[in-house]
Amino acid sequence: MGKKKNALTPTTFSLLHATDFADRLLYNIVPPLKAGMIVLAERYAYTAFARDVARGVDRRWVRDLYSFAVRPDLALYFRVPIDVSLDRLMARRVKLKFYEAGLDMGWSQNAQESFRIFQGKVLDEYDRLVEEFGLSVVDASLAITDQQQMVRNLVSRQLERPTLVETAVNQ
Amino acid sequence: MNPIPEEFQGANGTIQPGRYYGHGLPYLPIEHYPGKIIAIEGTDGVGRSTQIQLLREWLEVQGYGVVETGWTRSALMQPTIELAKSSNTLNKLTFVLLYATDFADRLEKEIIPALKAGFVVLADRYIFSALARAGVRGVDRAWLRSLYGFAIAPHLVFYLKIDVDTLIRRVLSARGMDFWESGMDLKGGDDIYDSFRAYQSKLLREYSSMSDEFGFRVLDARRPVDLIQEDLRRHVQAFLSSSDISVDV
Repeated sequence: MGKKKNALTPTTFSLLHATDFADRLLYNIVPPLKAGMIVLAERYAYTAFARDVARGVDRRWVRDLYSFAVRPDLALYFRVPIDVSLDRLMARRVKLKFYEAGLDMGWSQNAQESFRIFQGKVLDEYDRLVEEFGLSVVDASLAITDQQQMVRNLVSRQLERPTLVETAVNQ
Repeated sequence: MNPIPEEFQGANGTIQPGRYYGHGLPYLPIEHYPGKIIAIEGTDGVGRSTQIQLLREWLEVQGYGVVETGWTRSALMQPTIELAKSSNTLNKLTFVLLYATDFADRLEKEIIPALKAGFVVLADRYIFSALARAGVRGVDRAWLRSLYGFAIAPHLVFYLKIDVDTLIRRVLSARGMDFWESGMDLKGGDDIYDSFRAYQSKLLREYSSMSDEFGFRVLDARRPVDLIQEDLRRHVQAFLSSSDISVDV
């Protein structure tokens, strides 16, 4: 649906992803949270904050848009330089996807060049989000085992904190 | 020159026609576009389409270029919205967002280009029907107004006002009550008549409360078609003759 060449504008791109997110939030995220489970989300509202603003959508508007989302207890940001992410993507696939490379923006006809420009803007936005939302940064250029160790430490520390439910029960 | 309002501001002259209501689309500056937006609002069955058709013919005879846009008519979203309506897997939040996507698509691909080219855009429902329907369903009103902050304030908004008793008789004699127009998704009971009456009454209250906020020009929709059309033409004529829009003769 929609993802044909140049079919989406930055705003309709943003709204469609918000729609999808709202659906997943209500069906896949909120019920397990109510059941006391841990929800692992690969990408969250922060992806939209970075990606949609890089496309030119208003920063405050997209934050308001996602104000129905549940604030995560822990948000990890795997930070990686553009060259490393481009190398990894190229090793995995032959061709960059249209929107992933930001080709809809018309900054460059060349997919790799476009990706570089677009991701540069995305990474700038992520740096802003680290401050604004207190994202925990993991250096994603490290070895996977080292990254995983960091992640486990962060998660363990988070889980050791008393939750609201436990606090209420203990009182 | 006045700045674009920082936040989506309410009534009393703070909304400037032809400007974004809120944060807008930073990548699409629209200042000084010559076209005009005329929106006709009102609940289902109130006679909007008939009035728009008559208004369009009249405007075209006078030499205005006219573009029509209507709710859920975007190329991008219409099939998805139809599917969602028939399947019942969506909740109120995802519905609101799908409608907003439809509106954004039409705004960027139909309305803004038409404004730029100096057309009169006739909108069969604008954002207000979406605000009313979602408001009735308990979606946060401040959030809704921020969401639609990318919309452009119309130059004229006509609200075709009707009472629920007249509306019921009209809808029944024309085509009958359907699931969505009766608000059956709100699960207020199995009786479609009761549900229609309760839902449409709430909708009408919602429209009324927006009337001041957004500066609706209220027209009594219980009158005959030609009388309503006369009113519309008088308002539109007065507005267009005082505006800078050009007529191709």
